[in-house]
Amino acid sequence: MVAAAGGLSLRALAATHAPAPNGYRGWRQMLRDRTGFDRRTRGAHLVNCTGACPHFVYVKDGVVVRSEQSADLPSFAGLPDSNPRGCAKGICGVDYLYGAERLKYPLVRVGERGEGRWRRASWDEALRLIAEKIVTAAVRHGPDTISVFCPGPAVAPVAFAAGHRFAHLVGAHAHTFFDWYGDHPPGQTQTLGVQCDTAETADWYNARLLIFWGSNPVETRIPDAHYMVEAALNGTRLVTISPDYNDTATKSHRWLHPKPGTDLALALGMAEVIVREGLYDPAVVAEQTDMPLLVRSDTRRFLREADMVDGGAAERFFAWDRGGQGPVAMKGSWADAAPPAEGSPFLGRDTRGFPDGTLALGALDPALEGRFHVTLRDGRTVEVRPVFDLYKAELLESYSPDKAGPLCGVSPAEIVRLARDYAAARPAMIVSGAGINHWYHGDILLRVLHFLAAITGNVGVPGGGVNHYTGQWKSVLLPGLTALAFPTGTARQRFCQTTIWTQVHSEAPSPPESAAALRHSLETGQMPLYPKGGRAPRVFIAYRGNFLNQAKGQGHVLRTLWPKFDLIVDINIRMDTTALYSDVVLPAAHWYEKTDLNMTEEHGFLVTTEPAIAPLWEAKNEWEIFRLLSAKVAEVATARGVPRLVDDEFAWERDLSSLEERYTDGGRLVSGEDAAQFLLDHYDPAPGEPPVRLAGVRADRPRRLLSAFTSPARHDAPYVPFQYFAGLKKPWPTLTGRQQFYLDHPAFLRAGLELPVYRAPLDADPYPLRFNTPHGRLSVHSTWRNNPQMLRLGRGGPVAVVSPAEAKRRGLADDDWAEIRNDHGRIVCRIKVRPGEPAGRVTMTHAPELYMDLIEGGAQGVCPIRINPTQLVGDYGHLVFRPNYYGPSGNQRDVRVEMRRYTGPIPI
Amino acid sequence: MPHPRQIAFVIDLNKCIGCQACTVACKRLWTSENGQELMYWCNVETAPGDGYPRNWAERGGGYRDGRLAKGRAPAAADYGVPFRFDYEARLFEGRRQRVRPTPAGSWSANWDEDQGRGDYPNAYFFYLPRLCNHCSRPACAEACPKDAIVKRPEDGLVVVNPDRCSGDGACLAACPYGKVFLDPLTRIAGKCMGCFPRLEQGQAPACVASCTGRAMHVAMLDDKAASVHRLVFEWRVALPLRPDFGTVPNVFYIPPFLGPLEETADGGEGAVPKIPESHLVEIFGPAVRPALATLRAEMATRQQGRPSDLMDLLIAHRAVDLLGRMV
Repeated sequence: MVAAAGGLSLRALAATHAPAPNGYRGWRQMLRDRTGFDRRTRGAHLVNCTGACPHFVYVKDGVVVRSEQSADLPSFAGLPDSNPRGCAKGICGVDYLYGAERLKYPLVRVGERGEGRWRRASWDEALRLIAEKIVTAAVRHGPDTISVFCPGPAVAPVAFAAGHRFAHLVGAHAHTFFDWYGDHPPGQTQTLGVQCDTAETADWYNARLLIFWGSNPVETRIPDAHYMVEAALNGTRLVTISPDYNDTATKSHRWLHPKPGTDLALALGMAEVIVREGLYDPAVVAEQTDMPLLVRSDTRRFLREADMVDGGAAERFFAWDRGGQGPVAMKGSWADAAPPAEGSPFLGRDTRGFPDGTLALGALDPALEGRFHVTLRDGRTVEVRPVFDLYKAELLESYSPDKAGPLCGVSPAEIVRLARDYAAARPAMIVSGAGINHWYHGDILLRVLHFLAAITGNVGVPGGGVNHYTGQWKSVLLPGLTALAFPTGTARQRFCQTTIWTQVHSEAPSPPESAAALRHSLETGQMPLYPKGGRAPRVFIAYRGNFLNQAKGQGHVLRTLWPKFDLIVDINIRMDTTALYSDVVLPAAHWYEKTDLNMTEEHGFLVTTEPAIAPLWEAKNEWEIFRLLSAKVAEVATARGVPRLVDDEFAWERDLSSLEERYTDGGRLVSGEDAAQFLLDHYDPAPGEPPVRLAGVRADRPRRLLSAFTSPARHDAPYVPFQYFAGLKKPWPTLTGRQQFYLDHPAFLRAGLELPVYRAPLDADPYPLRFNTPHGRLSVHSTWRNNPQMLRLGRGGPVAVVSPAEAKRRGLADDDWAEIRNDHGRIVCRIKVRPGEPAGRVTMTHAPELYMDLIEGGAQGVCPIRINPTQLVGDYGHLVFRPNYYGPSGNQRDVRVEMRRYTGPIPI
Repeated sequence: MPHPRQIAFVIDLNKCIGCQACTVACKRLWTSENGQELMYWCNVETAPGDGYPRNWAERGGGYRDGRLAKGRAPAAADYGVPFRFDYEARLFEGRRQRVRPTPAGSWSANWDEDQGRGDYPNAYFFYLPRLCNHCSRPACAEACPKDAIVKRPEDGLVVVNPDRCSGDGACLAACPYGKVFLDPLTRIAGKCMGCFPRLEQGQAPACVASCTGRAMHVAMLDDKAASVHRLVFEWRVALPLRPDFGTVPNVFYIPPFLGPLEETADGGEGAVPKIPESHLVEIFGPAVRPALATLRAEMATRQQGRPSDLMDLLIAHRAVDLLGRMV
C-alpha cells in the first residue's frame, strides 16, 4: 500500500507539470498565470492630480490587464523612501480604457445638448464640421471668439501644449484654471510675489512641528501622507486644524476645530501672542519683511522717495535708521530693477539676478516700532510709522486670544499654546490646503500664515515654511512648455481670466461691490476679458478638463453661456459632463495609449507614460488631433478663399492656409513623441548632467529634474522654496522687495485690508448650513467619481455628509434622500450621517458628474461666482495679471444652504 | 503546533490611511471576474464599525474550549449586492434618467467609511485593513469536509484547492473573520492565498506592494532580523485581531497610538485618547495595554531627540525594510 501511495503521489506531481488533455495545468498554475504578462511599459495618470505617481502597465495578449506602482523613485539620504507611490485610483486606471464611458469614435450630437443622443461620424467629417465653424467664427466674429480650455499643464504637457499651440496659431483665447478652481493662493502672491511655491513633501519629515491647516493629506494627498505619520514616529508633533474630525486629525497629536471660515481669527490670535510675548526674531523681521518700512499716517500709504525728493522714485521705500535717526532707502525695491520685458510667468518680477546679500542690513538698524516725522518735498512734515508698529497695535488691540477665541470657537488657552509651540519649534511647517483657500477671504488668512512663518524665521529652511499644496500648477519643464504651447511668445497669446470670463459671459449676478470693481478692473486693463468689446464667445473647445461639471454658477453657465456657443467641442477619453453637453465629441487616446510626461510640485522626479497598446477603436492622441484639425482648418480656409486673417490686436497676419506646417514647425513636431522630446530639449541640465532623452526616461527609473523656481535646485535633498530670498538674500519679487504684508493699493485701502485683519466669512446666503465641497479619497475631481469599483467602495453614488444633530433636527436618517438648496440651485442627494462632522455644515465631496445618482442638480449648482475686489488689482508692482499668477479665485466655501427631507419621487 | 515556517504580516494602523490601494490591488489581481464582485480578500474598513461582511465579528466560528465553535456564514445582505451602472443608456442612447446604482444600496465594502463612534468633538475612528490571517489553527481548514483547504508546511499559507472544493460553505461559517468567500457563480470558495505566485517570483504580495502608506510588513515569522519578528516578539507591540477567536492569527497589528486626546468641555486637552482603550482591548485583547504603553514611551523618546529602534522599525526608512527577506 505504501508503494502504491507513493506511485499515486508521483503521478499527481507529474500532472502539475504536463497539461491535462483539456489544457488544465492545475489550480496553482492557474493562479500563477494570472500574474503573467507579455509586456511592461511605463504609465502615468494624466488627470488633474498632484500625485505624479510612476506606474508600470502590464499587457497580456494585447490587453492591458493591470497597472501597479513602479516603486522605483530614488530616495533622499536620511529621509524615508517614497515608494510605493500611488493609490487605489491609479490601480483602476485601466478601467477608463475598457469602461462603458470610453469614447470610441467621433460623435456628433443629434439630440439636445446633454441628452446623450449621438451619431457616429468619421474623423474627416467631424474635423470638417469643427473647422467650418472655426473659420466662420474667425472670419465673421474674430478669432478671439474661439475659446480653448485645458487645465493642468504639469500633468500632461504634451496634450496641454497641443490645444494651446493650435489656439495660439489661430488666435483663440486660452483659459486660466489655477485661480478659477480656487486653488491658486492669492494671499501668497500678495505677500511673496510668486504664483505659488512649495517644498517637496519629503520635507515634511524635517519639521519639528507640522500643522495641517485646512489640509487633509490622508484623504487628498494619499501618496504623500506617509511622510506625515513617519514624521510623527520620528518625534515631530502634528496638529490638524479643521472643523471636522477628519482623517488627518485621527493621526495628529492635537486637533483644533474652528468654526468654518473663521480660521483667520485663530491665526491672528497666534500672531498676537507671538508679537506680544516677543517670540519673534527681530533680525529676520527687519531684513526679510516690509515690517520696518515707513507708512505715512496721513495717507496710510508707504513713504516713497517721490514724496520727499523731486524726481524721486515712486517705488523706493524707507525705514527709520535708529543709528542715523532718519529715513533710509531700503535696497531691492521695484525701483532698483525694471521688470524684464517678457516677465517671469511665475514671479512678480525676476529678482534672481540680483547679487546675493542685497537684503543684508549691514550696519543699518531699522526701527520696528515708534512714531517718526519726515519732511516732504513741499516742506510739510508728516508722521510715519513702521508697518510693524501699525500691525502690532492692530494685533494687540483686536486679536488677543480672549478676543480671537470667541470669533473662531477655539479656546483662548489653546490659541496661546499653539502660538508658543509654533514659535518654539524650529523648524515649524504649516501645510495649508483648499479647506482654507477656497474661501472668499482665504487670501487674508494666507497673508497671516506667511506672517507667522516670516517672523519666526521659518522661511526658506528645510522643515519650515507655509506649503500650499492645492492645485497642480508646477510645470518643471516650463521653458519648453511655453515654447511649445505659445510658439511666438506668450505676449502674443490671448489669455482670459476664467473666473471673470465665466461670470461675465454667463451673466451671473454679482454682489454690487464686486460688479463695480470688476468694471473698473476691466476698463483700466488690469484684468483681461475675451472676446473684447462685449462680444460673446462662439466656439468652445474643452479637453482634459470638465469645465461645465466644475463650473461655479453652473445654472447660469448652462442657461446663459452655453447657448452663446455656436459649437462646443470636447476631446476626451470618456464621456464626462462637459462632453455630454457638447456638440461634437472626439475620442482621445487613453493614458496608456500615448506618450506624455507627468510632473508635480510634490516631488521633483519626471514621470512618463508611453503606449502600452495602440489606441483602441478610433481614438487618437491630442497632439495628432490638433495637427489634423490644423490641416482641416487650412483646407477649409483655403477652399473658402480666406487663407489669411489680419489680427489687429497683435498686427499679425495669420496664414490659416499653412496652419499645419506651423503647428508641426515644418514637419519637426509631427508626433506626440516629437513634442515630448521638444519639452525635454528645453530642459537646462545642471553642469555635468546629461541631456534628457525620451528613450532614456522610459527605460530608467524616474529621473530627478532640477528646477530653480525660487531656490537653487539640488539633487541630494528635497526642494525647499524661497532660498534665493530668505537664504541668499536677493530681493523678494514684490513691490518692496520684501515679504510684503502691507499693500497700499487703493483697492486694499478701500477695503481696510492694507494689513491682514479679520473678516468673517460671507453670510450672503440666508440659510443655516455652510456648504463644504472638499476633495475626496476615491476621486480626483470628477475623475473616478463614476468608476464602478470606487463606487462599490462606498454607497454607489454621491452623498451629502452631515452631523447626527443636523440630521435629527430635520428628521433625516443615514442614507435618506435630502434636498439641499439655496437661491442659486438645488441638489437632491442621499445623506450620510457622520459623528465627526460639525453641526452647521453639510459636506459633499466635489464634483460628481451631472449624470450621476443625484435626483437633481450638481454640487456646483448651489455655488455662485463671488469675485473678491482685491483680487482684481492688476496695476500694483507684483500684483498684475498673468495667467494663473494673479486674478480672482473661484472661491466657493462661503456658500450657505438649507437641507430638508426630500419628499418627491425616487426613480427606480 | 507551530508549522515549520510561517509567513506573517504586520499592519501598522497608525500608518494605514484607509486609501484602499491594497483592496483594489488585490481585487484587480485575483477577484475581477464576473461573480466575484463581492469578494474582497483584502478590505479596509472603518473601526469601530460594522465592517465587511457586515458584523463579521458576531457570527461565531473559530474555537471555543479548544473545539470548533458553531458559526454562521455571512448572509447575502451582509455583503450587499455589488452595484451596477448603466452608463451606455444615459451617455450614448439618450436615456434621460441619471445613472443609479443598481440595485440601490444597502451595504458594501466600506459602506460606513469614516463614521466611527462617539459624539463630536470626541468622535473617533481608525482604519482596519483585513486579509486572511493565515491562522496557525485555521478553523476554515478544520471545518472543510473535503479537506479542500490546506495549510502549506513550507510557508504556513492557508490556501483553497478549488479542485476539491464542493462549495458547501462550511469554511465561511467556521472563519470568525469572514475572510472566506463563496463565488456565487462557480460555488467555489475563494480567499487570500498570500499571493504565493508573486512570492515565488520574488515579489511582495499585492497588498503590501501597493501600500503607499508604507504600513504593511511581511516576512517569515522566524526571520529574526525582519521587522515582523522584531515587532511581534522583541517589542511585543504587534498583536493579532480578536485573539479570543482562538485561531492563532499570523496577521498582527500595531494598535493606533497616534491621535488626539479626548477634548474637555472647555475645549482643552483631556487625559485619555479619543479611541477608548476598552475598544482596543476588545479587539486586540489585554496585551494591547502594555503595547500602547511601549509605543507611547518610544514616541516620547524620539520627541526628546533620543534614538528609538522601535520607531525606526515602524518608519521603515527603505521600502525593502518592510519586506524581510521575502523578495
